[in-house]
Amino acid sequence: MSTTLKVEEQRRGDIPILSLGGRMDSTTSPDAEAHLTRLIGEGAHRIVVDFRDLEYISSAGLRVLLASQKRLKQAGGAVLLSALRPEIRKVFDIAGFNRLFTIYPTLEEALGAGQGR
Amino acid sequence: MASEPITEFIVLFQMMCVVVVFAYLVTRSQWYHEVLDGILSWKNQVFLILVFGIVSIYGSMSGVEVLGAPLNIRDTGPMVAGFVGGPIAGIGAGLIGAAYRMTLGGFSKIACSVATVLSGLLAGLIFIANNRKMPALVMAVAAAIIIEGIHMGLVLVFSRPFSQALTLVSDVAFPMIAANAAGIFVFGYISLNLKKERETARERDRYQGELQRKNAELHIAREIQESFLPPSLPALPGYTLAAESRPAREVGGDFYDVLASPGGRVGLVIADVSDKGVPAALFMALSSTVMRASAAWHQQPGDAVRDANTLIAGESRSGMFVTLFFCILDPEQGTITYVNAGHNPPLLVRDDGTVHSLSMTGMALGADPGESYEERSLSLCSGDLLVLYTDGVTEAEDSSQLQFGEERLADVARRERSRPAGAVLASIQAEVSAHTGAMPQFDDMTLVVLKVGT
Repeated sequence: MSTTLKVEEQRRGDIPILSLGGRMDSTTSPDAEAHLTRLIGEGAHRIVVDFRDLEYISSAGLRVLLASQKRLKQAGGAVLLSALRPEIRKVFDIAGFNRLFTIYPTLEEALGAGQGR
Repeated sequence: MASEPITEFIVLFQMMCVVVVFAYLVTRSQWYHEVLDGILSWKNQVFLILVFGIVSIYGSMSGVEVLGAPLNIRDTGPMVAGFVGGPIAGIGAGLIGAAYRMTLGGFSKIACSVATVLSGLLAGLIFIANNRKMPALVMAVAAAIIIEGIHMGLVLVFSRPFSQALTLVSDVAFPMIAANAAGIFVFGYISLNLKKERETARERDRYQGELQRKNAELHIAREIQESFLPPSLPALPGYTLAAESRPAREVGGDFYDVLASPGGRVGLVIADVSDKGVPAALFMALSSTVMRASAAWHQQPGDAVRDANTLIAGESRSGMFVTLFFCILDPEQGTITYVNAGHNPPLLVRDDGTVHSLSMTGMALGADPGESYEERSLSLCSGDLLVLYTDGVTEAEDSSQLQFGEERLADVARRERSRPAGAVLASIQAEVSAHTGAMPQFDDMTLVVLKVGT
Protein backbone atom coordinates (compact mmCIF):
# COMPACT_ATOMS: atom_id res chain seq x y z
CA MET A 1 0.00 0.00 0.00
CA SER A 2 1.19 3.49 -0.74
CA THR A 3 1.49 6.40 1.65
CA THR A 4 0.99 9.14 -0.93
CA LEU A 5 -1.92 10.54 -2.90
CA LYS A 6 -1.73 10.76 -6.67
CA VAL A 7 -3.95 13.49 -8.12
CA GLU A 8 -4.48 13.74 -11.88
CA GLU A 9 -6.64 16.28 -13.56
CA GLN A 10 -8.20 15.95 -17.01
CA ARG A 11 -11.24 17.28 -18.79
CA ARG A 12 -13.93 15.62 -20.86
CA GLY A 13 -15.91 18.31 -22.61
CA ASP A 14 -16.91 20.81 -19.92
CA ILE A 15 -16.51 18.33 -17.09
CA PRO A 16 -13.26 18.32 -15.09
CA ILE A 17 -12.19 14.89 -13.84
CA LEU A 18 -10.01 14.47 -10.77
CA SER A 19 -8.48 11.00 -10.60
CA LEU A 20 -7.29 10.03 -7.14
CA GLY A 21 -4.87 7.20 -6.40
CA GLY A 22 -3.25 5.89 -3.22
CA ARG A 23 -4.12 7.27 0.17
CA MET A 24 -6.26 10.28 1.05
CA ASP A 25 -5.62 11.15 4.70
CA SER A 26 -4.95 14.27 6.76
CA THR A 27 -1.40 14.56 5.36
CA THR A 28 -2.26 14.07 1.69
CA SER A 29 -5.77 15.48 1.23
CA PRO A 30 -4.69 19.16 1.13
CA ASP A 31 -3.32 18.39 -2.35
CA ALA A 32 -6.72 17.19 -3.60
CA GLU A 33 -8.38 20.12 -1.80
CA ALA A 34 -6.17 22.60 -3.70
CA HIS A 35 -7.29 21.07 -7.04
CA LEU A 36 -10.97 21.11 -6.08
CA THR A 37 -10.83 24.67 -4.72
CA ARG A 38 -9.18 25.88 -7.91
CA LEU A 39 -11.66 24.08 -10.19
CA ILE A 40 -14.59 25.53 -8.25
CA GLY A 41 -12.94 28.96 -8.37
CA GLU A 42 -12.63 28.62 -12.14
CA GLY A 43 -16.37 28.13 -12.32
CA ALA A 44 -16.67 24.34 -12.60
CA HIS A 45 -20.27 23.32 -12.00
CA ARG A 46 -19.99 19.57 -11.86
CA ILE A 47 -16.77 17.80 -10.98
CA VAL A 48 -16.22 14.08 -11.36
CA VAL A 49 -13.88 12.56 -8.80
CA ASP A 50 -12.69 9.15 -9.98
CA PHE A 51 -11.75 6.84 -7.09
CA ARG A 52 -10.60 3.87 -9.19
CA ASP A 53 -7.06 3.81 -7.78
CA LEU A 54 -7.83 5.14 -4.30
CA GLU A 55 -6.93 2.59 -1.63
CA TYR A 56 -7.76 4.45 1.59
CA ILE A 57 -9.75 7.49 2.65
CA SER A 58 -9.85 8.94 6.15
CA SER A 59 -12.30 11.43 7.63
CA ALA A 60 -9.90 14.20 6.54
CA GLY A 61 -10.45 13.07 2.93
CA LEU A 62 -14.23 12.99 3.41
CA ARG A 63 -14.08 16.53 4.80
CA VAL A 64 -12.42 17.81 1.61
CA LEU A 65 -15.10 16.20 -0.58
CA LEU A 66 -17.89 17.44 1.70
CA ALA A 67 -16.57 21.03 1.62
CA SER A 68 -16.54 20.97 -2.20
CA GLN A 69 -19.96 19.37 -2.34
CA LYS A 70 -21.40 22.11 -0.07
CA ARG A 71 -19.93 24.88 -2.24
CA LEU A 72 -21.10 23.33 -5.52
CA LYS A 73 -24.59 22.56 -4.21
CA GLN A 74 -25.13 26.21 -3.37
CA ALA A 75 -24.75 26.94 -7.09
CA GLY A 76 -26.85 23.93 -8.09
CA GLY A 77 -23.80 21.85 -9.00
CA ALA A 78 -22.38 18.66 -7.53
CA VAL A 79 -19.38 16.45 -6.95
CA LEU A 80 -19.93 13.12 -8.73
CA LEU A 81 -18.01 10.09 -7.51
CA SER A 82 -17.06 7.06 -9.56
CA ALA A 83 -15.48 3.63 -9.19
CA LEU A 84 -15.29 3.30 -5.39
CA ARG A 85 -13.61 0.16 -4.09
CA PRO A 86 -15.75 -1.80 -1.60
CA GLU A 87 -13.67 -0.72 1.44
CA ILE A 88 -14.01 2.93 0.45
CA ARG A 89 -17.68 2.54 -0.33
CA LYS A 90 -18.03 1.22 3.23
CA VAL A 91 -16.51 4.41 4.69
CA PHE A 92 -19.13 6.43 2.80
CA ASP A 93 -21.91 4.09 3.92
CA ILE A 94 -20.95 4.23 7.62
CA ALA A 95 -20.97 8.05 7.69
CA GLY A 96 -24.19 8.14 5.65
CA PHE A 97 -22.45 10.10 2.89
CA ASN A 98 -23.75 7.71 0.22
CA ARG A 99 -26.90 9.84 0.39
CA LEU A 100 -24.97 13.08 0.06
CA PHE A 101 -23.01 12.16 -3.07
CA THR A 102 -24.19 10.43 -6.20
CA ILE A 103 -21.91 7.46 -6.64
CA TYR A 104 -21.47 5.81 -10.05
CA PRO A 105 -19.98 2.38 -10.71
CA THR A 106 -17.73 3.67 -13.51
CA LEU A 107 -16.19 6.93 -14.69
CA GLU A 108 -18.10 6.70 -17.99
CA GLU A 109 -21.43 6.54 -16.19
CA ALA A 110 -20.50 9.50 -14.00
CA LEU A 111 -19.54 11.49 -17.11
CA GLY A 112 -22.77 10.48 -18.85
CA ALA A 113 -24.75 11.78 -15.88
CA GLY A 114 -22.54 14.90 -15.58
CA GLN A 115 -23.11 15.87 -19.20
CA GLY A 116 -26.77 15.00 -18.99
CA ARG A 117 -27.66 18.52 -17.94
CA MET B 1 68.38 36.49 -2.65
CA ALA B 2 64.98 36.74 -4.23
CA SER B 3 64.31 39.46 -6.77
CA GLU B 4 62.48 42.58 -5.65
CA PRO B 5 58.94 41.80 -6.92
CA ILE B 6 59.07 38.40 -5.24
CA THR B 7 60.23 39.96 -1.95
CA GLU B 8 57.39 42.47 -2.21
CA PHE B 9 54.95 39.68 -2.90
CA ILE B 10 56.15 37.67 0.09
CA VAL B 11 55.87 40.72 2.35
CA LEU B 12 52.34 41.39 1.09
CA PHE B 13 51.43 37.76 1.65
CA GLN B 14 52.79 38.00 5.20
CA MET B 15 50.70 41.13 5.78
CA MET B 16 47.58 39.35 4.61
CA CYS B 17 48.26 36.42 6.94
CA VAL B 18 48.56 38.81 9.87
CA VAL B 19 45.38 40.62 8.74
CA VAL B 20 43.48 37.30 8.60
CA VAL B 21 44.60 36.34 12.11
CA PHE B 22 43.82 39.83 13.37
CA ALA B 23 40.39 39.84 11.73
CA TYR B 24 39.65 36.48 13.28
CA LEU B 25 40.62 37.67 16.76
CA VAL B 26 38.71 40.95 16.47
CA THR B 27 35.55 39.20 15.27
CA ARG B 28 35.59 36.94 18.33
CA SER B 29 35.21 39.90 20.69
CA GLN B 30 31.87 40.86 22.20
CA TRP B 31 32.39 44.53 21.32
CA TYR B 32 32.75 43.74 17.65
CA HIS B 33 29.58 41.64 17.77
CA GLU B 34 27.71 44.59 19.25
CA VAL B 35 29.09 46.86 16.54
CA LEU B 36 27.87 44.46 13.83
CA ASP B 37 24.46 44.43 15.54
CA GLY B 38 24.40 48.22 15.10
CA ILE B 39 25.13 49.13 18.74
CA LEU B 40 27.57 52.05 18.46
CA SER B 41 28.00 53.10 22.08
CA TRP B 42 31.02 55.30 22.92
CA LYS B 43 32.67 52.23 24.46
CA ASN B 44 32.34 50.32 21.22
CA GLN B 45 33.60 53.30 19.21
CA VAL B 46 36.66 53.61 21.47
CA PHE B 47 37.23 49.88 20.96
CA LEU B 48 37.12 50.33 17.19
CA ILE B 49 39.41 53.37 17.31
CA LEU B 50 42.05 51.62 19.43
CA VAL B 51 41.97 48.26 17.67
CA PHE B 52 41.97 49.63 14.15
CA GLY B 53 44.46 52.32 15.14
CA ILE B 54 46.81 49.47 16.07
CA VAL B 55 45.97 47.72 12.77
CA SER B 56 46.91 50.98 11.03
CA ILE B 57 50.23 51.19 12.91
CA TYR B 58 50.94 47.58 12.01
CA GLY B 59 50.15 48.51 8.41
CA SER B 60 52.92 51.13 8.47
CA MET B 61 55.42 48.96 10.32
CA SER B 62 54.98 45.97 8.06
CA GLY B 63 55.42 47.98 4.89
CA VAL B 64 58.32 47.67 2.45
CA GLU B 65 60.49 50.71 1.82
CA VAL B 66 60.12 52.16 -1.66
CA LEU B 67 62.04 55.42 -2.17
CA GLY B 68 61.84 56.15 1.54
CA ALA B 69 58.05 55.71 1.55
CA PRO B 70 56.76 52.34 2.64
CA LEU B 71 54.38 50.31 0.49
CA ASN B 72 51.84 49.65 3.15
CA ILE B 73 48.32 48.78 4.28
CA ARG B 74 48.09 51.61 6.81
CA ASP B 75 44.70 52.72 5.44
CA THR B 76 43.05 49.32 5.86
CA GLY B 77 42.46 49.71 9.61
CA PRO B 78 40.76 53.13 9.50
CA MET B 79 38.69 52.05 6.49
CA VAL B 80 37.37 48.96 8.32
CA ALA B 81 36.63 51.09 11.40
CA GLY B 82 34.71 53.53 9.15
CA PHE B 83 32.82 50.83 7.28
CA VAL B 84 31.58 49.11 10.43
CA GLY B 85 31.42 52.02 12.90
CA GLY B 86 30.95 55.27 11.02
CA PRO B 87 33.07 58.43 10.54
CA ILE B 88 34.08 58.98 14.20
CA ALA B 89 35.56 55.51 14.51
CA GLY B 90 37.16 55.87 11.07
CA ILE B 91 38.74 59.26 11.81
CA GLY B 92 39.87 58.12 15.29
CA ALA B 93 41.66 55.05 13.98
CA GLY B 94 43.02 57.19 11.12
CA LEU B 95 44.47 59.75 13.56
CA ILE B 96 46.36 57.04 15.44
CA GLY B 97 47.72 55.62 12.21
CA ALA B 98 48.55 59.10 10.93
CA ALA B 99 50.36 60.10 14.15
CA TYR B 100 52.58 57.07 13.85
CA ARG B 101 53.18 57.81 10.16
CA MET B 102 54.31 61.37 11.01
CA THR B 103 57.03 59.94 13.25
CA LEU B 104 58.43 57.97 10.32
CA GLY B 105 59.17 61.13 8.34
CA GLY B 106 59.93 61.16 4.60
CA PHE B 107 58.93 63.68 1.94
CA SER B 108 55.36 62.34 1.62
CA LYS B 109 54.60 62.15 5.36
CA ILE B 110 51.96 64.89 5.39
CA ALA B 111 50.11 63.65 2.29
CA CYS B 112 50.21 60.06 3.56
CA SER B 113 49.02 61.00 7.07
CA VAL B 114 46.19 63.16 5.76
CA ALA B 115 45.22 60.35 3.38
CA THR B 116 44.98 57.87 6.26
CA VAL B 117 42.60 60.10 8.25
CA LEU B 118 40.66 60.82 5.07
CA SER B 119 40.29 57.09 4.31
CA GLY B 120 38.64 56.54 7.73
CA LEU B 121 36.34 59.52 7.15
CA LEU B 122 35.29 58.46 3.64
CA ALA B 123 34.62 54.89 4.75
CA GLY B 124 32.50 56.30 7.60
CA LEU B 125 30.51 58.44 5.16
CA ILE B 126 29.86 55.36 3.02
CA PHE B 127 28.58 53.62 6.19
CA ILE B 128 26.14 56.51 6.75
CA ALA B 129 25.09 56.61 3.10
CA ASN B 130 24.35 52.86 3.37
CA ASN B 131 21.69 53.48 6.06
CA ARG B 132 24.24 53.18 8.86
CA LYS B 133 25.03 49.63 7.85
CA MET B 134 28.22 47.95 6.76
CA PRO B 135 28.38 48.07 2.94
CA ALA B 136 28.31 44.84 0.90
CA LEU B 137 31.66 43.24 0.12
CA VAL B 138 31.88 44.40 -3.50
CA MET B 139 30.99 47.95 -2.49
CA ALA B 140 33.58 47.99 0.31
CA VAL B 141 36.37 46.70 -1.92
CA ALA B 142 35.46 49.12 -4.72
CA ALA B 143 35.42 51.98 -2.20
CA ALA B 144 38.85 50.90 -0.89
CA ILE B 145 40.26 51.04 -4.43
CA ILE B 146 38.89 54.56 -4.97
CA ILE B 147 40.08 55.77 -1.54
CA GLU B 148 43.57 54.45 -2.23
CA GLY B 149 43.43 56.22 -5.61
CA ILE B 150 42.67 59.45 -3.72
CA HIS B 151 45.60 58.70 -1.42
CA MET B 152 47.87 58.53 -4.45
CA GLY B 153 46.37 61.77 -5.77
CA LEU B 154 47.11 63.52 -2.46
CA VAL B 155 50.75 62.42 -2.65
CA LEU B 156 50.98 63.87 -6.15
CA VAL B 157 49.32 67.15 -5.19
CA PHE B 158 51.02 67.85 -1.86
CA SER B 159 54.42 66.12 -1.97
CA ARG B 160 57.42 67.99 -3.43
CA PRO B 161 59.50 67.57 -5.46
CA PHE B 162 56.77 66.50 -7.85
CA SER B 163 59.05 64.31 -9.98
CA GLN B 164 59.94 62.23 -6.92
CA ALA B 165 56.24 61.99 -5.94
CA LEU B 166 55.38 60.85 -9.47
CA THR B 167 58.08 58.15 -9.40
CA LEU B 168 56.86 56.98 -5.99
CA VAL B 169 53.23 56.86 -7.04
CA SER B 170 53.96 55.06 -10.29
CA ASP B 171 56.02 52.49 -8.35
CA VAL B 172 53.66 51.79 -5.44
CA ALA B 173 50.20 52.74 -6.71
CA PHE B 174 49.20 49.34 -8.07
CA PRO B 175 50.58 47.13 -5.25
CA MET B 176 49.24 49.51 -2.57
CA ILE B 177 45.77 49.69 -4.02
CA ALA B 178 45.77 45.91 -4.41
CA ALA B 179 47.09 45.29 -0.89
CA ASN B 180 44.55 47.58 0.80
CA ALA B 181 41.73 46.18 -1.30
CA ALA B 182 42.79 42.69 -0.24
CA GLY B 183 42.90 43.78 3.41
CA ILE B 184 39.38 45.18 3.16
CA PHE B 185 38.26 42.03 1.40
CA VAL B 186 39.56 39.85 4.26
CA PHE B 187 38.00 41.97 7.00
CA GLY B 188 34.79 42.48 5.08
CA TYR B 189 34.43 38.82 4.21
CA ILE B 190 34.91 37.65 7.79
CA SER B 191 32.72 40.41 9.24
CA LEU B 192 29.86 39.88 6.82
CA ASN B 193 29.98 36.13 7.35
CA LEU B 194 29.83 36.70 11.07
CA LYS B 195 26.95 39.10 10.63
CA LYS B 196 25.02 36.57 8.57
CA GLU B 197 25.80 33.83 11.08
CA ARG B 198 24.49 35.98 13.92
CA GLU B 199 21.33 36.82 12.00
CA THR B 200 20.74 33.13 11.28
CA ALA B 201 21.33 32.28 14.93
CA ARG B 202 18.89 35.01 16.01
CA GLU B 203 16.27 33.73 13.58
CA ARG B 204 16.81 30.19 14.86
CA ASP B 205 16.42 31.39 18.44
CA ARG B 206 13.24 33.21 17.48
CA TYR B 207 11.81 30.08 15.83
CA GLN B 208 12.80 28.02 18.82
CA GLY B 209 11.12 30.49 21.14
CA GLU B 210 8.03 30.47 18.97
CA LEU B 211 8.04 26.68 18.91
CA GLN B 212 8.35 26.56 22.68
CA ARG B 213 5.47 28.97 23.06
CA LYS B 214 3.32 26.95 20.64
CA ASN B 215 4.14 23.75 22.49
CA ALA B 216 3.20 25.38 25.77
CA GLU B 217 -0.07 26.57 24.20
CA LEU B 218 -0.80 23.09 22.87
CA HIS B 219 -0.13 21.68 26.30
CA ILE B 220 -2.67 24.07 27.81
CA ALA B 221 -5.09 23.28 24.96
CA ARG B 222 -4.76 19.61 25.81
CA GLU B 223 -5.59 20.28 29.45
CA ILE B 224 -8.61 22.33 28.43
CA GLN B 225 -9.73 19.61 26.06
CA GLU B 226 -9.34 16.96 28.76
CA SER B 227 -11.51 19.11 31.01
CA PHE B 228 -14.33 18.75 28.42
CA LEU B 229 -14.36 15.01 29.10
CA PRO B 230 -16.19 13.76 32.22
CA PRO B 231 -13.80 14.03 35.17
CA SER B 232 -15.15 10.74 36.52
CA LEU B 233 -17.70 8.16 35.49
CA PRO B 234 -20.89 7.68 37.52
CA ALA B 235 -21.37 4.50 39.51
CA LEU B 236 -24.27 2.55 37.99
CA PRO B 237 -25.59 -0.20 40.24
CA GLY B 238 -25.64 -3.45 38.28
CA TYR B 239 -23.30 -2.13 35.57
CA THR B 240 -19.64 -1.32 35.09
CA LEU B 241 -18.57 1.53 32.84
CA ALA B 242 -15.11 2.47 31.52
CA ALA B 243 -13.94 5.10 29.03
CA GLU B 244 -10.68 6.51 27.69
CA SER B 245 -9.69 8.86 24.88
CA ARG B 246 -6.13 9.03 23.51
CA PRO B 247 -5.42 11.78 20.97
CA ALA B 248 -2.80 10.99 18.26
CA ARG B 249 -1.33 14.47 18.67
CA GLU B 250 -1.39 16.88 21.61
CA VAL B 251 -5.06 17.56 20.95
CA GLY B 252 -7.60 15.59 18.97
CA GLY B 253 -11.12 15.39 17.63
CA ASP B 254 -12.50 12.41 19.55
CA PHE B 255 -14.66 12.80 22.60
CA TYR B 256 -17.02 10.89 24.84
CA ASP B 257 -19.53 12.06 27.40
CA VAL B 258 -21.71 10.66 30.14
CA LEU B 259 -24.86 12.70 30.78
CA ALA B 260 -27.38 12.42 33.55
CA SER B 261 -30.97 12.24 32.31
CA PRO B 262 -34.23 12.56 34.27
CA GLY B 263 -35.48 9.43 36.01
CA GLY B 264 -32.03 7.99 36.71
CA ARG B 265 -31.34 7.46 33.04
CA VAL B 266 -27.83 7.98 31.71
CA GLY B 267 -26.79 9.26 28.29
CA LEU B 268 -23.61 7.91 26.69
CA VAL B 269 -21.93 9.77 23.82
CA ILE B 270 -18.96 8.83 21.67
CA ALA B 271 -17.94 11.03 18.76
CA ASP B 272 -15.20 11.53 16.20
CA VAL B 273 -14.59 14.85 14.44
CA SER B 274 -13.20 14.65 10.89
CA ASP B 275 -9.41 15.02 10.57
CA LYS B 276 -7.21 15.45 13.65
CA GLY B 277 -5.00 17.91 15.51
CA VAL B 278 -5.95 21.53 16.23
CA PRO B 279 -8.74 21.97 13.63
CA ALA B 280 -10.45 18.83 14.90
CA ALA B 281 -9.97 19.94 18.52
CA LEU B 282 -11.69 23.29 17.86
CA PHE B 283 -14.61 21.55 16.21
CA MET B 284 -14.70 19.01 19.03
CA ALA B 285 -15.15 21.84 21.55
CA LEU B 286 -18.10 23.15 19.54
CA SER B 287 -19.68 19.74 18.96
CA SER B 288 -19.41 18.44 22.51
CA THR B 289 -20.91 21.64 23.92
CA VAL B 290 -23.78 21.66 21.41
CA MET B 291 -24.46 17.97 22.01
CA ARG B 292 -24.47 18.41 25.80
CA ALA B 293 -26.90 21.33 25.58
CA SER B 294 -29.18 19.57 23.12
CA ALA B 295 -29.21 16.38 25.20
CA ALA B 296 -30.16 18.40 28.30
CA TRP B 297 -33.03 20.01 26.41
CA HIS B 298 -34.60 16.96 24.72
CA GLN B 299 -35.96 13.76 26.27
CA GLN B 300 -35.56 11.73 23.11
CA PRO B 301 -32.10 11.02 21.66
CA GLY B 302 -33.38 11.43 18.09
CA ASP B 303 -34.55 14.99 18.80
CA ALA B 304 -31.33 15.83 20.64
CA VAL B 305 -29.14 14.67 17.76
CA ARG B 306 -31.34 16.34 15.13
CA ASP B 307 -31.04 19.76 16.80
CA ALA B 308 -27.32 19.30 17.44
CA ASN B 309 -26.87 18.52 13.75
CA THR B 310 -28.74 21.61 12.61
CA LEU B 311 -26.61 23.82 14.87
CA ILE B 312 -23.32 22.18 13.89
CA ALA B 313 -24.13 22.18 10.15
CA GLY B 314 -24.65 25.94 10.38
CA GLU B 315 -21.05 26.30 11.60
CA SER B 316 -19.39 24.01 9.11
CA ARG B 317 -18.50 25.81 5.90
CA SER B 318 -15.14 24.05 5.95
CA GLY B 319 -16.77 20.66 5.47
CA MET B 320 -15.94 19.59 9.03
CA PHE B 321 -18.29 16.94 10.33
CA VAL B 322 -18.60 14.72 13.35
CA THR B 323 -19.75 11.12 13.56
CA LEU B 324 -21.58 10.49 16.81
CA PHE B 325 -23.31 7.68 18.66
CA PHE B 326 -25.71 8.68 21.42
CA CYS B 327 -27.64 6.23 23.57
CA ILE B 328 -29.78 6.65 26.65
CA LEU B 329 -29.55 3.80 29.10
CA ASP B 330 -32.38 3.10 31.48
CA PRO B 331 -30.58 1.09 34.16
CA GLU B 332 -33.80 0.03 35.88
CA GLN B 333 -35.47 -1.32 32.74
CA GLY B 334 -32.24 -2.57 31.20
CA THR B 335 -32.93 -0.85 27.86
CA ILE B 336 -31.01 1.47 25.61
CA THR B 337 -32.43 3.84 23.03
CA TYR B 338 -29.83 4.97 20.52
CA VAL B 339 -29.11 7.11 17.52
CA ASN B 340 -26.12 6.42 15.31
CA ALA B 341 -25.14 9.52 13.32
CA GLY B 342 -22.69 8.05 10.84
CA HIS B 343 -20.46 6.61 13.55
CA ASN B 344 -18.54 3.32 13.42
CA PRO B 345 -21.19 0.81 14.56
CA PRO B 346 -20.75 -0.01 18.26
CA LEU B 347 -20.59 -3.69 19.10
CA LEU B 348 -23.12 -5.38 21.35
CA VAL B 349 -21.74 -8.70 22.55
CA ARG B 350 -24.47 -10.86 24.06
CA ASP B 351 -23.80 -13.12 26.98
CA ASP B 352 -23.89 -16.13 24.60
CA GLY B 353 -21.13 -14.63 22.44
CA THR B 354 -23.17 -13.38 19.49
CA VAL B 355 -22.06 -9.97 18.26
CA HIS B 356 -24.42 -7.30 16.90
CA SER B 357 -23.51 -4.02 15.20
CA LEU B 358 -25.57 -0.97 16.07
CA SER B 359 -25.46 0.50 12.59
CA MET B 360 -26.23 3.95 11.23
CA THR B 361 -29.61 5.57 11.77
CA GLY B 362 -28.70 8.94 10.22
CA MET B 363 -25.90 10.91 8.60
CA ALA B 364 -22.81 12.30 10.37
CA LEU B 365 -23.48 15.68 12.05
CA GLY B 366 -22.60 18.82 10.11
CA ALA B 367 -23.13 17.46 6.60
CA ASP B 368 -26.81 18.20 5.99
CA PRO B 369 -28.73 20.62 8.26
CA GLY B 370 -32.10 19.00 7.43
CA GLU B 371 -31.20 15.42 8.34
CA SER B 372 -33.53 13.51 10.67
CA TYR B 373 -32.41 10.70 12.94
CA GLU B 374 -34.17 7.43 13.56
CA GLU B 375 -34.12 5.99 17.08
CA ARG B 376 -33.74 2.34 17.87
CA SER B 377 -34.21 0.54 21.18
CA LEU B 378 -33.04 -2.78 22.51
CA SER B 379 -33.04 -4.66 25.76
CA LEU B 380 -29.89 -5.55 27.61
CA CYS B 381 -29.48 -8.74 29.62
CA SER B 382 -27.08 -9.64 32.35
CA GLY B 383 -23.67 -10.48 30.87
CA ASP B 384 -24.10 -8.28 27.78
CA LEU B 385 -21.23 -6.04 26.77
CA LEU B 386 -21.50 -2.79 24.78
CA VAL B 387 -18.32 -1.48 23.11
CA LEU B 388 -18.33 2.03 21.65
CA TYR B 389 -15.17 2.97 19.71
CA THR B 390 -13.76 5.42 17.19
CA ASP B 391 -12.04 4.46 13.93
CA GLY B 392 -8.61 5.13 15.46
CA VAL B 393 -9.05 1.75 17.16
CA THR B 394 -10.04 -0.34 14.15
CA GLU B 395 -7.82 1.56 11.69
CA ALA B 396 -4.68 1.31 13.86
CA GLU B 397 -2.02 -0.01 11.48
CA ASP B 398 0.99 -2.22 11.92
CA SER B 399 4.29 -1.64 10.08
CA SER B 400 2.89 -3.21 6.87
CA GLN B 401 -0.18 -0.95 6.99
CA LEU B 402 -2.47 -3.80 8.01
CA GLN B 403 -5.41 -2.45 10.02
CA PHE B 404 -6.44 -3.82 13.40
CA GLY B 405 -9.94 -4.23 11.97
CA GLU B 406 -13.46 -4.73 13.29
CA GLU B 407 -13.21 -8.49 13.32
CA ARG B 408 -10.25 -8.49 15.66
CA LEU B 409 -12.03 -5.96 17.88
CA ALA B 410 -15.11 -8.21 17.95
CA ASP B 411 -12.91 -11.21 18.75
CA VAL B 412 -11.30 -9.48 21.72
CA ALA B 413 -14.69 -8.26 22.98
CA ARG B 414 -16.17 -11.74 22.68
CA ARG B 415 -13.20 -13.34 24.43
CA GLU B 416 -13.23 -10.81 27.30
CA ARG B 417 -17.01 -10.45 27.64
CA SER B 418 -17.25 -12.01 31.11
CA ARG B 419 -14.91 -9.43 32.61
CA PRO B 420 -15.83 -5.97 33.98
CA ALA B 421 -15.78 -2.96 31.65
CA GLY B 422 -12.40 -1.62 32.82
CA ALA B 423 -10.66 -4.93 32.15
CA VAL B 424 -12.25 -5.24 28.69
CA LEU B 425 -11.14 -1.71 27.79
CA ALA B 426 -7.57 -2.44 28.95
CA SER B 427 -7.48 -5.69 26.94
CA ILE B 428 -8.60 -3.95 23.76
CA GLN B 429 -5.97 -1.23 24.24
CA ALA B 430 -3.29 -3.86 24.88
CA GLU B 431 -4.26 -5.81 21.74
CA VAL B 432 -4.18 -2.66 19.63
CA SER B 433 -0.73 -1.75 21.04
CA ALA B 434 0.53 -5.26 20.33
CA HIS B 435 -0.77 -4.96 16.76
CA THR B 436 0.78 -1.56 15.99
CA GLY B 437 4.09 -2.37 17.73
CA ALA B 438 6.54 0.50 17.30
CA MET B 439 4.36 2.35 14.77
CA PRO B 440 3.28 5.80 16.01
CA GLN B 441 -0.39 6.28 16.84
CA PHE B 442 -1.94 7.58 13.62
CA ASP B 443 -5.41 8.66 14.70
CA ASP B 444 -7.23 9.59 17.92
CA MET B 445 -8.45 6.48 19.75
CA THR B 446 -11.46 6.41 22.06
CA LEU B 447 -13.28 3.57 23.77
CA VAL B 448 -16.37 3.51 25.97
CA VAL B 449 -17.29 0.11 27.41
CA LEU B 450 -20.50 -0.76 29.28
CA LYS B 451 -20.94 -4.14 30.94
CA VAL B 452 -24.26 -5.38 32.28
CA GLY B 453 -23.65 -7.11 35.61
CA THR B 454 -20.36 -6.94 37.41
